[in-house]
Amino acid sequence: MEHEPNSTAMIQSAFLMSRSPDAEPLPETLEIAALVRRTLSGDSAAFECVILRYERRVVTLAMKLLGTREDAQDAAQEVFLRAYKYLHRLDLQKPMEPWLMRMTVNVCKNISRKRQRRLNTFSESETPEAFPADKSCDPYTEILEGQERQMLWKALNSLPERERIAVTLRDIEGLSTAEVAAILESSESTVRSQVSRARVRMKDAIDQMMGGEK
Amino acid sequence: MSCAHSREVLALFIEDDLPTVQAERVRHHVNACRNCQQICQQLQKSQSFIKARLKSPFYVSPSPELLNAVRQTVLSQIQDERQTLGWGVKIERALTLAFRKHGYAVAVVAILVIISASLLGQMRHSLSETHGRPAAVFESKNMLLRPERYREWVFVGSSIGLEYSVSHEMPTSSTPDSFHNVYVNPAAYKEYAKTGAFPEGTVMVLERVRSEIKKEPGLHGIYEKEFIALEASVKDSSRFQGGWGFFDFTDQDGKVKAKTQALSDGSCRSCHEERAETDHVFTQFYPVLRSARMES
Repeated sequence: MEHEPNSTAMIQSAFLMSRSPDAEPLPETLEIAALVRRTLSGDSAAFECVILRYERRVVTLAMKLLGTREDAQDAAQEVFLRAYKYLHRLDLQKPMEPWLMRMTVNVCKNISRKRQRRLNTFSESETPEAFPADKSCDPYTEILEGQERQMLWKALNSLPERERIAVTLRDIEGLSTAEVAAILESSESTVRSQVSRARVRMKDAIDQMMGGEK
Repeated sequence: MSCAHSREVLALFIEDDLPTVQAERVRHHVNACRNCQQICQQLQKSQSFIKARLKSPFYVSPSPELLNAVRQTVLSQIQDERQTLGWGVKIERALTLAFRKHGYAVAVVAILVIISASLLGQMRHSLSETHGRPAAVFESKNMLLRPERYREWVFVGSSIGLEYSVSHEMPTSSTPDSFHNVYVNPAAYKEYAKTGAFPEGTVMVLERVRSEIKKEPGLHGIYEKEFIALEASVKDSSRFQGGWGFFDFTDQDGKVKAKTQALSDGSCRSCHEERAETDHVFTQFYPVLRSARMES
């Protein structure tokens, strides 16, 4: 199992960079800008470097939003194909990561809606894979925590789409309200409202699952 | 703050998500309210539970195989994607890249293209009559084809029974005469508005429409009933003495003909020559033409 403890810090640094338009772009941004220019002039190898740099972030976020590897893989592929198609729209003075995160959220929304229609049609059962048990603990705890994650996933998945995405980015990804608002192209007050409602609903759902406590 | 509506606010408060001023207000309330303190504790508990179970480091990172599959699929599809990029995206990309490289030069070119396209559109519109089918089409020297789509021309005015008469007595009939609806071709209208002169090729069309009196309780007046005649005058100095030819497209049965010879008796011409205010045209009775001259 691989952990990714620094991913949130990476996103946050990317957002901080994106918020200071007058500041000189950081070396990483310049490096990406060079890769983008090479890609736009037809160099596929340069785009492969772009994918290598961001694939883990994109797939991880997609897994958290969609819950299954299969959907996350589809989402990530779609995100990078869209990114390739619209690469010329990227502001090279700004970091690429927030742009990709926004695209990931939008692609995941589409996939989620399609999946919902499929579930409604075929009554398939959902088995989330993004939150499996921590294998470092004893078997009993492993099973218990696995069940709890499944339960939380169901609660999360029962939220309205906007609330689910906002609370995932804020509480699970650990982004700030401003960063979530930037990704969702929304206002901070809207994000606060979505997150607050989602937290209350999650609490109620947890209480209910834990035995009806309110 | 009302305790009954505070759960959402408290859900933000416990995670430091409230703006400073509001957070201070809530803190002040919570310190004094046992109910809210309890709600805060419950919310903190559920938040801790969610984070402990779902936040890093407990989620599994995508496997190298999964990442590799994503990468390979994308790279293989990009080859096709390059060929299947729509024209819209290709043009957008070319313009964006050109603008990035040459900045203002591209902007100036784009503006010039837009202005040229606009001017071309206007020229096409104004030239369509002169370079397309003219307003007056002659089959032979004096045989005029009935003007097409003249109702899309400029309507210059209407009158009822307005005719010059040799008699100096006032008419006594209480029955109104026909309406005279007059149109002029747009190119001639523009030229007249600009210069005050009617150009060669000017066509005036006069439709006569029978009038009807309506006298009913709650409804009275005169209105146009059915078309009874169609006449035209054309300015063409190469064909007609005095510059203008006059035509009547109505046959003896009252039907409108597709073509007609110029009237040869000279009755129309003499009256138009003597009494019309501007070059055989009764502009004194056409307010649209008068105002066009005044506005130009």
